[in-house]
Amino acid sequence: MTRIYDVIIVGAGHNGLVAACYLAKAGLKTLVLERREIVGGGAVTEEICPGFRCSTLDHATGPLAAHIVDDLNLSRFGLELITPEARVLALSPDGRSICIYNDVGRTVSEIEKFSANDAKSYPEFVNSFARIGRVLAPLISMTPPSIDQPTTADLWQLGKVGLAFRGLGKKDEYRLLRWGPMAVADLVSEWFETELLRATVAARGIYGAFAGPWSAGTSLGLLWQAAMDGSAIVPASHPKGGMGSLSDALASAARAAGAEIRTSAQVSAVAGASSDAPKVALETGEEIQSRVVVSNADPRSTFLNLVDPIDLEPNFLQKMRNYRAPGAAAKINLALSGLPAFRGVNGGDPKTKLSGRIHIGPEIDYLERAFDASKYGEFSAQPYLDITIPSIGDPSLAPAGKHVMSIHAQFAPYKLRQGDWTTRREEFADNVITQLETYAPGIDDLIVAKQVITPLDLEQTYGLSGGHIHHGEQSLDQFFTFRPLIGWAQYRTPLKRLYLCGAGTHPGGGITGLCGANAAREIARDLSRR
Amino acid sequence: MAQKYDIVVIGGGHNGLVNAAYLARAGKKVLVLERRHVLGGAAVTEEVFPGFKFSVCSYVVSLLRPEIIRELDLPRHGLEILPLDGTFTPMPNGDYLWRVNDHARTRREIARHSRLDAEAYDEYGKAMIEMAHFVKPIMSMTPPDPTTLDPKGWKNLAFLGRRFQKLPDEDKYNQVQLMTMSAVDFLDQWFETDVLKATMSASGIIGTFLGVRSPGTAYVLLHHYMGEIDGAFRSWGFARGGTGAISNAIADAAREAGVEIRTEAGIEKILVKNGSATGVVLANGDEINVDVISSSVDPRLTFMKMVGEEYLPDDFCTDLKRYKYRGSSGKVNLALDGLPDFKSLPGPGAHLRGAISISPGVDYMERAYDEAKYGRFSRRPYIDMVIPSLTDPSVAPPGKHVMSCFVQYAPYNLKEGSWDDKREEFGDTVIDTIAEHAPNIRELIRDRQVLTPLDLEREFGLSEGNIFQGELTLEQLFFLRPAPGWAQYRTPIKNLYMCGSATHPGGGIMGAPGRNAALQMLKDI
Repeated sequence: MTRIYDVIIVGAGHNGLVAACYLAKAGLKTLVLERREIVGGGAVTEEICPGFRCSTLDHATGPLAAHIVDDLNLSRFGLELITPEARVLALSPDGRSICIYNDVGRTVSEIEKFSANDAKSYPEFVNSFARIGRVLAPLISMTPPSIDQPTTADLWQLGKVGLAFRGLGKKDEYRLLRWGPMAVADLVSEWFETELLRATVAARGIYGAFAGPWSAGTSLGLLWQAAMDGSAIVPASHPKGGMGSLSDALASAARAAGAEIRTSAQVSAVAGASSDAPKVALETGEEIQSRVVVSNADPRSTFLNLVDPIDLEPNFLQKMRNYRAPGAAAKINLALSGLPAFRGVNGGDPKTKLSGRIHIGPEIDYLERAFDASKYGEFSAQPYLDITIPSIGDPSLAPAGKHVMSIHAQFAPYKLRQGDWTTRREEFADNVITQLETYAPGIDDLIVAKQVITPLDLEQTYGLSGGHIHHGEQSLDQFFTFRPLIGWAQYRTPLKRLYLCGAGTHPGGGITGLCGANAAREIARDLSRR
Repeated sequence: MAQKYDIVVIGGGHNGLVNAAYLARAGKKVLVLERRHVLGGAAVTEEVFPGFKFSVCSYVVSLLRPEIIRELDLPRHGLEILPLDGTFTPMPNGDYLWRVNDHARTRREIARHSRLDAEAYDEYGKAMIEMAHFVKPIMSMTPPDPTTLDPKGWKNLAFLGRRFQKLPDEDKYNQVQLMTMSAVDFLDQWFETDVLKATMSASGIIGTFLGVRSPGTAYVLLHHYMGEIDGAFRSWGFARGGTGAISNAIADAAREAGVEIRTEAGIEKILVKNGSATGVVLANGDEINVDVISSSVDPRLTFMKMVGEEYLPDDFCTDLKRYKYRGSSGKVNLALDGLPDFKSLPGPGAHLRGAISISPGVDYMERAYDEAKYGRFSRRPYIDMVIPSLTDPSVAPPGKHVMSCFVQYAPYNLKEGSWDDKREEFGDTVIDTIAEHAPNIRELIRDRQVLTPLDLEREFGLSEGNIFQGELTLEQLFFLRPAPGWAQYRTPIKNLYMCGSATHPGGGIMGAPGRNAALQMLKDI
């Protein structure tokens, strides 16, 4: 057996790497083990065909929490964030479009083309979410309090949030209380009358979720987004060089702090996690000991695959089996010989408009129908697409004049009723491209190469149980003090030497680094006491 | 003009009557005004066809609060609840699922479909009863205002927090799930049999514009267990003489306490002076001056029609406009020459005495919802049927029967056409659906009454045909019902109160809103 580490982190996803940075900086001997040959998990840049590099999974940051970027000094390690002026360009099949910019005034003039009322509501919408976001913001970087025995620190934290809540004033206080459990379709129709705008804003609530805009609780996605970024509409911020550059910067920061990172090192088991000498077994047979083990894998993989079930209470195992992680999203990445022309995006500077996210899903009903299919084990005939063309802002990703396009496609249920993902992969991709043709005629002819990542690939290649990009549904029942399970939301597990630090913990999915940073704080505290 | 009454209650529905009875028992002079010729609101019995008496809208007693039955001594006033035993769910494959009150029999029946499920059913029942215990006191409390600065309000909130904290871990887990999950997701954790999950999840969607897979529907599963914990009194059944008999018993109790009740006395206007309610104007022009008004009709009628927006704060009007009704169900009442004969369990039998549920699978239920989302009534709807004449022969001529079919989904807003054009087509769809399971139904029908959501609105004053006076979704429950900041039965108009199903704890023949409101009013006055 090899020498003893303080901490072994299983999985070098961005959260695992963030945790490694903090733990190594705290003076703990840290080893990160990554199954794949590259670090990053969902935040990776890979070459999809010679000369074309793409963020193969996640294509934008959540955004990354500012305090983490500062703490870890990521810019010194090569992180360069590109934040396009356009957040999202919403396309309609009739060729009309709305572009939502960071700048409110500019957005208002876009919305005015559709509705004077909506143009009037938009600034208040932005302000309201900014105010509520400020109140919620402290929640995302805190460890969810224990319900049974809240500590003084827990109460202090919650008290502060409570006071901030009071500071909102009655109107926003009630907004917050009402919106939490509401269907996002209802929320957006309280603000806007333009269907295209409603659908574009609502889409955040169902991103990566097994839910449609009429599902209760989907407004939560917007509130959470506001907590991360002060806005309900996600920014299209991405690192230069693709998402992999972020992971590389994190890895460099971790190494600089003294952490060791091994790739192509697949962990097959975590043993003895309830004893004082846990060890990690690799596929190769190698065993490595440490004081604690931290899993960046999703909760189901961790407890149902890595740990010996005999070590866990049947009751806990049962709950873990019931932890909901039905993946519903797929990725299609395209190498393009030129920039596609989108209908109705000729005016002004098309490149600016196309540099953010491109949203396809022009109506609430369209999004809901897309979801309907997945309930019956079928992929959407007309899917909801969230697209980026990162090569516009970052030409280094593709040969000169050429582009890469990253398409997040929903809904693609992990379990298909007819056939399986191996046989239906091309059919699925072809359908997405056909739909895309409506909005960008001629795009098919530009395709040099195409990479299709189905939910099954998400599970097999990227290790996401059920192909769920957020490591499990972020619905009300799997949220905050309930994530992943009530009683186990503090990054600790029933096995005293095993911790969680992935998106299956609070505050959940998206490239924010917060799960890793929060977990590292708890782990470092425990280790300093031991 | 001399004032004859202290309080006027608008609407003689069961909540209005309960409200009046409690107020009168505390010594108030109360007048109840009902628009229709019969009392009861949605809890009425009417002889729709000669000799055939129907519980036209609400058809079973489910949640009537035992403290109300006790305090108003309703059995003495003629309330008699007859058992409604079991739920029979025919399946298209020729099989069926028949759950009854006898636990051992139900277990054996479920075991026929799945042994594992039979075992889980016991565990499930126990867990739900625990949960029901937790929820019960919340039903009879005035919701706190979470934004209040008043320490008393904080005390109530803290009470809820501590109560939750004291639950055993297992119950906390279940409680969180029940409050947030979809009925199907919740049941998936316990059971594997599709038809069992479908028929159980049906109780989660009744009266709402949600599907069995919509988050927030699990909570209603609890309601079925609320009755069990109340013990002695059987709270799940038929009222002898139809649902209207409940209203009549409450009315009788109210009259005994001194309440005066007038029917065919619709309200045109609530008079407001200096932000305070001063009286009502009836449809016939009569004006009644009074100190306090309590309205059991829904907020749209109360405020938009009777008070008028000009007397109300803008924010309150906005909130009221956002309050969702979205009626999703219809009712088909059939006068029958005989009993339906089910393919899966032919002949007459005890299975016809309980509820008969057309809910053969989870996908069937969800597809019914999907159609409604886009503005069509379900081509194959969920139907909950009862034949009360089997248990209470007084409601039909000898040898004949009445059958009541609750049908979902029937969205109030149709994408194409109007309900006036679609009424019969809707009725036919219901009959066709039933005929797939009981083909002889067509020959048995002497008469049928089809009530669409539009009819429910016109005839019974339920806005958009919502049987609960507003959706029972999380954002419209407890301290958010019916409007943020106005969940304490009070309104922005001084001396005007709400006491209907649009207030906490919501719809169903429960009586709790009426009682809670009365207690709050007595505290205030």
